[in-house]
Amino acid sequence: MIYTRELTDLPLDYDDQEDQLIRTGKSLPSFSRLLRDMFRMRRESTEVIIAVMITAVAGTLYPLSLGYAINSVIRRDYTGLYLFASGFFLLYVVQFFSNWLRTVSSTKLAQSTIKSLRDRSFQNLQHVPVSFFSKVKTGYLISRITNDAETLSEFLTFQLPQVVSGITTVLVSISIMFYKDFSLTLYALIVIPVLAGFTFSIQGRVRLNYLKTRKTIAAITGNLSENINAVRTIKAFNVEQRIQGNFNELNVKNFEANMKASKLSSLYGTVIRIIESLGIAVVIIAGSMQLQSGVTTVGILVAFVIYVQEFFDPVVQLSQLYNSYQSAMVGVSRIYGIIDSPVETMPGGTGRKREFRDSIELSDVSFSYGTDQALNGIGIRIARGEKVGIVGHTGAGKTTLSNLILKFYSPTNGSVTLDGVSMDEINTEDYRKLIAPVLQDPFMFRGTVYENIRFADSTVSRETVDDMARKFGLSEIFAGLPDGLNTNVGEMGRNLSEGQRQAISILRAFVRNPEILILDEPTSQIDPDSEKLIIASLREYLKDKTLILITHRFSMISLVNRIVVLQEGGLVEDGTFGELLDRKGIFSELYRIQYGPVDRYPI
Amino acid sequence: MKDRVKLRLERIIGVMGPLLFSLAFLDKRKKYLWIVISAGFISMVSRMFVPLLIGDAVGSLQKLQYSSVEHFALLIVLASAVSGAMQFIVNYGAQYLSQVYSYNLRNDVFGHILRKNVGFYENQTSGDLLSRTTMDIEATRNYILTTLAQLIPTIFMIGFSFVALLILKVEFAAIFTLTVPVLILVGLIFQQKQRTHWRHIRIYYGLMNEHLQENIVGNRVVRGFSAEKQEIDKFSETTEQFFQENMGIGRLRGKYNNMMPLIVGAAATIVLLYGGFVSIINGSNIGPLVSAVNIFSIISFPVSFLGRMIVFSENSKASIMRINEIRTLEKEEELSALPEIYPNGDLSFRDVSFRRGDREILRNISFEIRVGEFVGLTGRTAAGKSTLVNLIPGFSKPSSGMILIGDKQLNAFPLSSLRKAVAIVPQEITLLSGTVRDNIAFGNMNADDDEIKQSAAIARISDFIESLPLKYNTVIGERGITLSGGQRQRVAIARAILTKPGYLILDDATSSVDPETELEIFRNIKKEMTHTTVILVSHRESALKFADRVLKLTDGQISAVPDFKKAEEELSTRPEHHDIHAGVDRFATGL
Ligand SMILES: Nc1ncnc2c1ncn2[C@@H]1O[C@H](COP(=O)(O)OP(=O)(O)OP(=O)(O)O)[C@@H](O)[C@H]1O
Ligand SMILES: Nc1ncnc2c1ncn2[C@@H]1O[C@H](COP(=O)(O)OP(=O)(O)OP(=O)(O)O)[C@@H](O)[C@H]1O
Ligand SMILES: [Mg+2]
Ligand SMILES: [Mg+2]
Repeated sequence: MIYTRELTDLPLDYDDQEDQLIRTGKSLPSFSRLLRDMFRMRRESTEVIIAVMITAVAGTLYPLSLGYAINSVIRRDYTGLYLFASGFFLLYVVQFFSNWLRTVSSTKLAQSTIKSLRDRSFQNLQHVPVSFFSKVKTGYLISRITNDAETLSEFLTFQLPQVVSGITTVLVSISIMFYKDFSLTLYALIVIPVLAGFTFSIQGRVRLNYLKTRKTIAAITGNLSENINAVRTIKAFNVEQRIQGNFNELNVKNFEANMKASKLSSLYGTVIRIIESLGIAVVIIAGSMQLQSGVTTVGILVAFVIYVQEFFDPVVQLSQLYNSYQSAMVGVSRIYGIIDSPVETMPGGTGRKREFRDSIELSDVSFSYGTDQALNGIGIRIARGEKVGIVGHTGAGKTTLSNLILKFYSPTNGSVTLDGVSMDEINTEDYRKLIAPVLQDPFMFRGTVYENIRFADSTVSRETVDDMARKFGLSEIFAGLPDGLNTNVGEMGRNLSEGQRQAISILRAFVRNPEILILDEPTSQIDPDSEKLIIASLREYLKDKTLILITHRFSMISLVNRIVVLQEGGLVEDGTFGELLDRKGIFSELYRIQYGPVDRYPI
Repeated sequence: MKDRVKLRLERIIGVMGPLLFSLAFLDKRKKYLWIVISAGFISMVSRMFVPLLIGDAVGSLQKLQYSSVEHFALLIVLASAVSGAMQFIVNYGAQYLSQVYSYNLRNDVFGHILRKNVGFYENQTSGDLLSRTTMDIEATRNYILTTLAQLIPTIFMIGFSFVALLILKVEFAAIFTLTVPVLILVGLIFQQKQRTHWRHIRIYYGLMNEHLQENIVGNRVVRGFSAEKQEIDKFSETTEQFFQENMGIGRLRGKYNNMMPLIVGAAATIVLLYGGFVSIINGSNIGPLVSAVNIFSIISFPVSFLGRMIVFSENSKASIMRINEIRTLEKEEELSALPEIYPNGDLSFRDVSFRRGDREILRNISFEIRVGEFVGLTGRTAAGKSTLVNLIPGFSKPSSGMILIGDKQLNAFPLSSLRKAVAIVPQEITLLSGTVRDNIAFGNMNADDDEIKQSAAIARISDFIESLPLKYNTVIGERGITLSGGQRQRVAIARAILTKPGYLILDDATSSVDPETELEIFRNIKKEMTHTTVILVSHRESALKFADRVLKLTDGQISAVPDFKKAEEELSTRPEHHDIHAGVDRFATGL
């Protein structure tokens, strides 16, 4: 099976990884790596920590100053009241500035971290082996790099500083409380074990619920993305109702998962509120007893009541943070997964075109995408300047062969060499500067026709493009476009006809003026008249160039001086046009079919 | 000036906009809304009692009335319990309503997406549609949840705080009244300054998405042309701009967001000083003072929350606008309004023209295809062949003229019947992730294994499928990435054949298939699907020679290729050449 056989060497089994992470809650390694990444920005991280500490300390001092102010009122001490009330306000002012600093520097810290994660994963995607992309879904990668990175933003900007501040608040307030009144503090802390026990006991369930909501929403997104892209097919087959039904099913699942999760989290909020009030009640009763025995003052008691309340805020926040911590960690570990995906090993490059002197040689090359052998013991030597045609039935392995020559894949067995040097020892970039491919599926980027043709090299002038198009007889194909070559091609080139896309893809390769051209059915969607013009100019253009041409259309065969025939992954014929025609093998059969009448070839 | 005030007021009221929008999607569950709001009310009332009770408790302690303290403690717990229980209803109910909302809205929007005509998709990027249907819906859901669970209770709370302060001391309430407009003003200024940043963030986010999509799907082009560095730079430029915009917001947030608690703090200090002095002078109970300061400290968070909600509401309203743009009826098709009639009969085009903007792609085209005919359609690249065949299943409508099946015009048929009768294999093939069977049976889920195998055999893909270890259960990757070009096309042909269409359109559907396999496919179609009318679009003679006759599209007009059969006879009788140049040149001239 194509898919499972490929999954075996997947760098990371993404879905399972997420599953496991949430189920076990083991997210520490990713978290500490993230922190290390962040702490690399020394200045910002120091600023955040200092600002958070100041805020937290100021926050914990203010009940105290309030308490003193009230004591002053009771003592009828005007200056005291004035002093402590000013202190009270000053603390707000301090908090204002420290929060300001914190917000700005934590935004900077968070956003640069996110930018760096995005840039690094994008960079890595440029260097992973091509096979990576047939294993991992596009939507998956996009949503990691955009969406998941974005969830980090909330977490890093607000929530992480909040954790630090929460912990600081709790520690500072407890110390102050102990300092002020040891035994009353013990009373105030009585509810902590209850709170902790309750929180821990439901955490596992919370995680699982959360996992379920995430999975169901991911299923919805995946379904939407696929259906939006396949909307023409859906319409063509008139299956809107079925598709809507499937979508509804996923939608219902998501609804149910969310409601289940919500029941627990709503209950949690309620219980916390009650535990908090119990804490306050305990402090008041214990405080009143201590007041009676004259150990404490009313002001201190007020401060304690506020402490208990304040104390619960970070705790409640922390427990709400839990989900967002989980999702941030799942996101970040998946981004790290992309960053860590093994890249193609590449020997050092020169940054220049590699020289091509003699030949490209495939010796005893076998290749498999998984278990099936796509190519089997292929041996071909393509000399510099030679023009080779590759012919064979559909699925024979022609594109696969070109993929090996393009270094998109490496052979499972045997070797591909350039001037006798193994491909493994050649820097990919230097090598690819020699080549220009026309791939079987023309791919268009957003932008104009010009931009697409000059995709690889923006130094190519428009005049050159125009000249090339004229020279290869392709200008007429673009003549019908509303703004000529300045027309926008639309997403995936949808505003163009298929043949126009192919023409762009051809020009894109030709303006590169490469030494080696690899054309995979370049004119399959182009009309014979235009094709003839292309062929006529190609002859001149190809002088001194090496050509590898995959084609089913023998009109192009006149360009090559040698033909190689593939059959089920094996090389079965190799020779000139005349030789192969005489041999009466696969090639001559294909040729006859194309040019003979229908009736001559019964099935 | 007056207008500006009005605008500002509208923005403040606008925080409820998304909730009003959601009403349409709550159907009969609207009544729960009142339960949630009332629960929020009770919860807040009981919660307000807590600081009051604390104040009373402290007051009685000050008066050395220790015995009543336990009584107050009990009341505190009781009030909290009531408030907690109500809070449960609020949270759960708000979640429930917001989920009902997003559930219904999602289904609704998805329905619209499926009904949009092909023209709609020509001007849309899939990334944008996806973000409208996922992110925007989720953003509004979140906002509605917050409105119900927090905003409405907060408004109650602020109201009660005012009442409580009024009861405690009129002056406290007056101080409070002064702070509220200041806070709202700060919130509005903040919101205004943020606005452009948010707009830009949306744009850059979209760019990032689109760039990624292209880079990944087009990864072979990027590599093949060693454009990796250039791509990295381009991406990094976008992320840099994204970063800058976020920093812009961060700076504003730093200033304005934190200003709100400062304003509340200033008010609290004034209360403390004023109340303190009064209390010292009068020797009155400090209970009310403690309560008042406590109230201020409690509302400091909700108040700054209110400021943030104004900003959120802006974003959420922008999302609603984007969602509503899909929900208009524009460019939508009615799939099955008319009674089901199965199209049957000759297909004829009468004076059909089609224009795209001011370009006329098809001009007064008239032709007729009889039932069961196999007709070829050729023409130069970009001549408009695909445009023409796309008119038949009603993907687009002719600008003028009419298309008939039998004696009925196309629009006399419901689209669903029409598309059941017409199957098209497009030039650009979309396979879906799933198994080979899922893909072939896409248009006819009721087909049994034999039928599936039979269509695969006609499309000449069965041998390949049988050679796979899991055969029809093999999962093909995204967009059929694990298949060769010709294999993808043949799966798509099998998929079309399985629907047993009356009219089969093959739009260059064998361009990546070798001539021998192609021959077998057409042979099979001719033999097995005798009642099916076939239109074959192709550039290749080897394909066109299967056609009973060939039409050619030139400059938007159609002409029959004269003596097509004869021309072909002539070619076939020519001697075999070994001189390839002569052969090729003769052939490359086309029809
Ligand atoms: N990414 C992939 N993963 C797994 N199998 C693949 C992949 N790409 C191709 N194959 C398989 O390898 C075999 C050879 O495919 P290849 O694309 O080289 O054929 P081809 O000769 O170019 O055919 P066509 O003329 O139809 O384009 C096919 O059986 C195909 O299913
Ligand atoms: N979605 C679209 N938006 C704008 N223009 C379009 C769109 N689709 C096609 N066109 C234009 O309409 C003209 C005809 O295109 P069409 O796809 O019908 O040609 P075709 O004959 O099928 O060509 P090919 O042989 O290349 O498939 C082209 O100039 C093309 O650029
Ligand atoms: Mg191929
Ligand atoms: Mg076309």
